[in-house]
Amino acid sequence: MSVGVNGSGAAIEYRNVFKAFDVPVLTGVTLSVEPGEMFALFGPSGTGKSVLLKTTIALVTPDRGDVTVGGESVYFGGRDALERIRRMVGFVFQHAALFDSLTVFENVEIGIPEETLKLMGANEVAHRVSESLELVNLDPKQVLDKLPSELSGGMKKRVGIARAISGRPEILLWDEPTTGLDPVNSAAIERLITQLSDELKVTSLLVTHDIVGGLEMCDRVAMLEGGRLRFCGLPGDFLASNDPVVNAFTDRKAATAALDTLEIT
Amino acid sequence: MSRQSSSVLSPYGFLGRSFIAFERVANSVAGHAGQIGLLAWHIGVACVRLRVSRRDIVRQLNIIGIQSIMIVLIAAALIGIVTSQQGGYQMQSQIPLYVMGSVVVESVILEMGPVLTAIVMVGRVGARITAELGTMKVSEQVDALISVGRDPIEVLAAPRVLAMIISMPLLVAMANLTGITTGMLSARVTLGLGQETFFYGAQLFWHNYDLLYSLMKALVFGVAIPLIAVHMGLRTGGGAEGVGRSTTHSVVFMTLTILVIDALFPPLFLN
Repeated sequence: MSVGVNGSGAAIEYRNVFKAFDVPVLTGVTLSVEPGEMFALFGPSGTGKSVLLKTTIALVTPDRGDVTVGGESVYFGGRDALERIRRMVGFVFQHAALFDSLTVFENVEIGIPEETLKLMGANEVAHRVSESLELVNLDPKQVLDKLPSELSGGMKKRVGIARAISGRPEILLWDEPTTGLDPVNSAAIERLITQLSDELKVTSLLVTHDIVGGLEMCDRVAMLEGGRLRFCGLPGDFLASNDPVVNAFTDRKAATAALDTLEIT
Repeated sequence: MSRQSSSVLSPYGFLGRSFIAFERVANSVAGHAGQIGLLAWHIGVACVRLRVSRRDIVRQLNIIGIQSIMIVLIAAALIGIVTSQQGGYQMQSQIPLYVMGSVVVESVILEMGPVLTAIVMVGRVGARITAELGTMKVSEQVDALISVGRDPIEVLAAPRVLAMIISMPLLVAMANLTGITTGMLSARVTLGLGQETFFYGAQLFWHNYDLLYSLMKALVFGVAIPLIAVHMGLRTGGGAEGVGRSTTHSVVFMTLTILVIDALFPPLFLN
């Protein structure tokens, strides 16, 4: 990972990011994720976690502020910089977002950057696709020719992850990867996230509602609330926090109490 | 009468509201037109830079062109029959029957062939494109494409637009031929008009330019339909309901655009 132009060396840096749709969603978020770090972002629904994640590769453009990835500005670095950043980042979507009309092979293949694909032979591409599927514990022989509609929810998520890692990214962005899965599949995906981060040596930024899993897996955690950063620190500090909003996320009783006292929607 | 109800009934209030509504519609149409223009420009750039996959164009040619042949030919056959029947009814004992040849050929080539083929393609292809891309948009598949460094204009829009531009003139040519053939057969069966007499009548008013005019119309429709469909699909938001809304709006816009283009063609190209 290259060192940032500002000398911070952060893998991802959000600088005073503002975004409003009909109502303000992000109201000045500043946050940095260090190289090799596993970072979890918690927060109530609708507080802008996924929006912040999407600003990392310009899937959503902020109204104000900037994001840097590997020291390059996403919004002021020009088209070439954005293309480099997108090659550097793998994005795992909440509902996998597989292409319905393409087979599993084609879905994973499309994750390999075009420039890399041009340099690879057909065998190399097939090997990369199979390897990516094996990394997410799927048997290539069984799934390669299937369409997404023939896969279970958990398998779709795994294929979505395989697509994100097939380009061998330096950074992985995870948008609620366990949402909609049963506890067993959720645990399996969480194990996979840790395993991939270790094996591929990637920086991971994880948006999740699974507080327990996030605290176990990640080096640092942050919490967004009302479009602002409410907490940023170590998992232990998150658990020990006296902030009632933070407590509401770690303790069911505190959550129930918070419903009466805090404006959490 | 209360102040509010008098304002509702006042002609000035009505005019004001009508003006505001007109302005809103005009703004919306201008906005869409501008965005469609930009889309066309980006597709043009993608084509010039050879960034459009030939495999995708062939796949779309199959879906848009080849799979539409049957429905287009059925519609064209019926158009030929209806034109011939109604023409025969109107001309009974008033005008020489050989004029029927001209009526059928000119009606089919100048108007019915291109316009009704376009309307069929709006329903079969335009609605499909908007619904497909709209679903891809709301299910984050378009975002996924961008996240892996692919341009949705190059991957999704350009192949569909190019396939439609190639398909439309060919489909209209087939529709014209089918419409004229069924019109001629219908005239023979119901009016007793022989083939030679039919073509004698057709030749009397025939201009070679008419064929070019028909194919020009087809080409313009072939550009307009997929551009509107892709534009409406890629701006879809709001889940399944949004896809339905986008598709409905898209079909309305495409149909109106075809009729407006059709109305502009005679003063522009037939004088």
